[in-house]
Formats: sequence, C-alpha cells, structure tokens
Amino acid sequence: MAAAGPVAGAEAPGPGPGEEAAGAGPPCPGPARLARLPLARVKALVKADPDVSLASQEAVFVLARATELFVETIAKDAYVYAQQGKRKTLQRKDLDNAIEAIDEFAFLEGTLD
Amino acid sequence: MAERPEDLNLPNAVITRIIKEALPDGVNISKEARSAISRAASVFVLYATSCANNFAMKGKRKTLNAGDVLSAMEEMEFQRFVAPLKESLEVYRREQKGKKEARKDKDKKADSEEQDKSREEENDDDDERMEEEEQNDEEEVDN
Repeated sequence: MAAAGPVAGAEAPGPGPGEEAAGAGPPCPGPARLARLPLARVKALVKADPDVSLASQEAVFVLARATELFVETIAKDAYVYAQQGKRKTLQRKDLDNAIEAIDEFAFLEGTLD
Repeated sequence: MAERPEDLNLPNAVITRIIKEALPDGVNISKEARSAISRAASVFVLYATSCANNFAMKGKRKTLNAGDVLSAMEEMEFQRFVAPLKESLEVYRREQKGKKEARKDKDKKADSEEQDKSREEENDDDDERMEEEEQNDEEEVDN
C-alpha cells in the first residue's frame, strides 16, 4: 500500500510506513516525509507542560517534524564553526557559538548545561 | 517521581541519524555535541508547545492543533519550516486516512471515530493511538 504516494520529490517511502516496527525507510530528506522521531516521546514532552490540556495527534506530528527540521538546522549552523576551525568533527563549542550568534537560537541560551 | 521536563529526551539513534544526514559525508560529531543537540531538541519541543498553547488559548480552545504549532513556528522565527511542515502534514493526513480505512476493514467492531479528520480527540483515545504509533514508528526502541 503506497501510503505516502509520489509527493514533491520525495522518494518512495518503502514498505507501508507505520506498518512495521522499524520504520527505517530510505533516507529521503524531502520535506514531505513521515516523522522519524517517535510521536509518543514527543507527546510526553508536550504533556510535561502543565498549561497544556490536550494536543491533537496532528499537532504532535507537526511538532515532531518541526523538531527534526530544527535538529538539521542547528547541526548545519554549528558545522559552519567547525569548518572555520578546519575540523571535520562537530564539537560542543561549535554549538555554543551557533547559539550565541543566531537569533532564532536565543531561546536555548542557558538551557544546555 | 518528579521528572524534570529537561530529562525527557528523544532517542539518541534518531537524533544522530538526522544530524548525520544534515551534514556532509565524512563529518563526525562528538558525543558532547550530539547530546547537547538532543537536549536542544527537547527544549525546542517544550518552547514550541508553550508558544502553540498560547495560540490555542487565544482561540479559546483547549486542544492544541496543527495550526497552533505552525503559528508557533512563525512566532519563534522559524518561518522557513512552515512550508515543509504543511507538506508533511498533507502526507500525514492522507496516510492516516488510508490507515483508518484499512483498519475499518479489519476491525468489525465500530470504533466510532471514522469521520474525525482533524483528530481532536480525548487524551485516552490519543494515548491508545500513541501506543500504536510508538510500536509502529519507533526504530531504536528503548524498551
């Protein structure tokens, strides 16, 4: 069952996504892919907020995908600093530099220690 | 057992894979950097949730929906996420619809949530579904 179908450049997602335990599809980085982060874990984080009563399943999914995009983004932004230091290994300090330099990451300041 | 929200983390293997795919071949990542990114991801979820919840409250709703999360992304200055997220959401909706239809054929007993496309359901049902999702979607299972 081709669930995800041929969408905007995304490669075939392999055998029924969601059907098998190891949802390890081919590494297609297209935007229209299913979440790799387990929704249950994301939901656990959502529930940790005392002000939140309920979250729809779709909301949890979008959060999971957003988090994946965030991880990609911050990894790439941090890597710029590794390159400046002529290193091929991303280190903690590259991350710290990115967080300090980039406005969107300001919310992370002081949270990673 | 008071578990701090910061302790709720996401599976290392998945985070690592996402990082590796975002970076050029041959690039490595130190354990400390990976662990810090993982923590950053958790903080991101918490912050985005809080932001999204503000939008839900503004709309006088008690349930966070996908639109609230998208609004939160804009608020957090991650507008460039919005388009790809919308696309993913479309795929997800189609997939859920397909799954539901397949399940309808299998389960003869009336589940009574057929028409619910927007999926704004009670926590209990959600949890049940989440359990299912967990089994289906989780790769490296920390059982």
